[in-house]
Amino acid sequence: MANIIETAKGAGLFSTLLTAVEVAGLTGALESPGPFTVFAPVDDAFAALPPGTVQTLVQNPPQLARILKFHVISGAYSRSDLVDQPSWESLEGAMIPIRCAEPFEVKNTSVLSADIVCDNGIVHVINRVMLPG
Amino acid sequence: MTVLTSSAKALPPSTHPFAEVVERLEAGGSMLPDTPENLMQIIGIYKAYAVPMDFYWRDLLYIAEQVFLNPLPAFKYFPSQEYLDRPNSYQGDQAELRIWRGEAGAHPELLEFMEKGEIGKLPKLLHHLWHDRINMEFAEACMDAMLWHQGMGGRFNDYLDSEVYRQNADKAIKAYFKGNPLMLGLYKLFPEMLLEQVKKLSYVANLGLFWEVMAPVFFEMSDIYDEGGFSGVPAAMDFLVNGIFAVAGRPIYHQVFIRGECFEIIPKSEGFTWLYEAALPYVEAVFYRTAPFRGTKSYNAQAGQVPSEQSEFHYGILYADVFPVGSAGIPPTLLMQDMLHFLPPYLTELYLQHKRGEDDILVQLGITFQRSMYNVTSAVIQALRAALLFPLDDPDPEHLKANRAFFESQMDRFIRPEARLRDVQTEHYR
Repeated sequence: MANIIETAKGAGLFSTLLTAVEVAGLTGALESPGPFTVFAPVDDAFAALPPGTVQTLVQNPPQLARILKFHVISGAYSRSDLVDQPSWESLEGAMIPIRCAEPFEVKNTSVLSADIVCDNGIVHVINRVMLPG
Repeated sequence: MTVLTSSAKALPPSTHPFAEVVERLEAGGSMLPDTPENLMQIIGIYKAYAVPMDFYWRDLLYIAEQVFLNPLPAFKYFPSQEYLDRPNSYQGDQAELRIWRGEAGAHPELLEFMEKGEIGKLPKLLHHLWHDRINMEFAEACMDAMLWHQGMGGRFNDYLDSEVYRQNADKAIKAYFKGNPLMLGLYKLFPEMLLEQVKKLSYVANLGLFWEVMAPVFFEMSDIYDEGGFSGVPAAMDFLVNGIFAVAGRPIYHQVFIRGECFEIIPKSEGFTWLYEAALPYVEAVFYRTAPFRGTKSYNAQAGQVPSEQSEFHYGILYADVFPVGSAGIPPTLLMQDMLHFLPPYLTELYLQHKRGEDDILVQLGITFQRSMYNVTSAVIQALRAALLFPLDDPDPEHLKANRAFFESQMDRFIRPEARLRDVQTEHYR
């Protein structure tokens, strides 16, 4: 089986996310045994942010890392685990609310594809970049 | 501008006391009605605000980074040439993200005013003593509001109480007072005293970095307006929303230069951001809360006229009665006086046509400022909605209901009688 990074590379939907993870210096962490639960925004999600948003973050890796860590939970949790609890603590520190079980919505995003199992965790594909708050 | 979609129209009418405003926000509008005069007023005042703001941010960073703990900071309002020339990160050719098309150094109108003031060309010190200058006291009052209210979201305040911050501050304090046994002795006796001062200076840096962004945003808006580039108030608000996103990830930090050496009290690597650690706490502290200023209008805390909870404070510009506050010689008046020097001619003309003309021009421009800050607050509300909730044209009615609940909860803050949201809906409020 592939790890989270390899899986994302293989899918071909996450080039912005992978670049961001690389710039933020988080690639190594996501290749480590973990396990992690990752909410992975597709390329269109980054493209939908107003102009300059991604540029400023990429120029400032610690700030970018903070936003990316808001998309990760420590531990491997499937959709059925996640909907059992109203919110989960992200690696960033802020809580990620589970908005709806059916359709599966996390915070203000819709989960496009859930439960992609990797060596070191589980990936859920989301349609929007999540921001803490 | 996002247009109202059929799905948004599908929601039943709002029953909120400010239903009209809620529905305007749902249609991508601002709390301020979209009229040509409102657009003219807000853009004109943004420009008049941006010039003193160009001084505020430069001097705030000068104070936080250079003046630092000077026990007798008599010259803290005299930023060095280096800080006047310091390139704004968001204007000039070198800017990685250029918001304003102008040059990167201090604004030419600011430099001219600093030289001549109202009374003509005199030595800097005389301008200062005659108070013919930019009123930095206003900027410091805003910083005080942020320091005093604290804990308004973000991680900045928690960090100021952390052990690592304490150690960073300690290094800088010891380096700053190296060879000064009196101050080092005081530090040993009362370690919290200087630490508190450093915390305050960290807020000074925070506000300086916040305003460094807002000045070019307002300058650019003024230039776009002069070219006829804004179709209305919502377009001006959208420019602000996009600006908020574009710089959201800007680092907020505090560094001090002591005898040429840089001490990082809050390093950029802490990951603090412009949006979470500066902009949102600023809006909460300064637009909504601040403090009941002592002036011709007095408040009796024993009679419950001042809330016991800080979160209930409502003395910011969104609630201000500009007239009594404006006659008291206190921080908001100082800002009005600063803006008076840089009004575009079309606003001066407008004020001369209304009320008592030149005699109450400070009150009139204070009310314009209030209108403009309702528009900035609208931009913040729309940016939060975009970041945390759903698009205005989302096809899912449940998502639209969540947006509405958010807008209504924001409008709840303006139900109290002091709020000026009702007043700014009409053109008679001047």
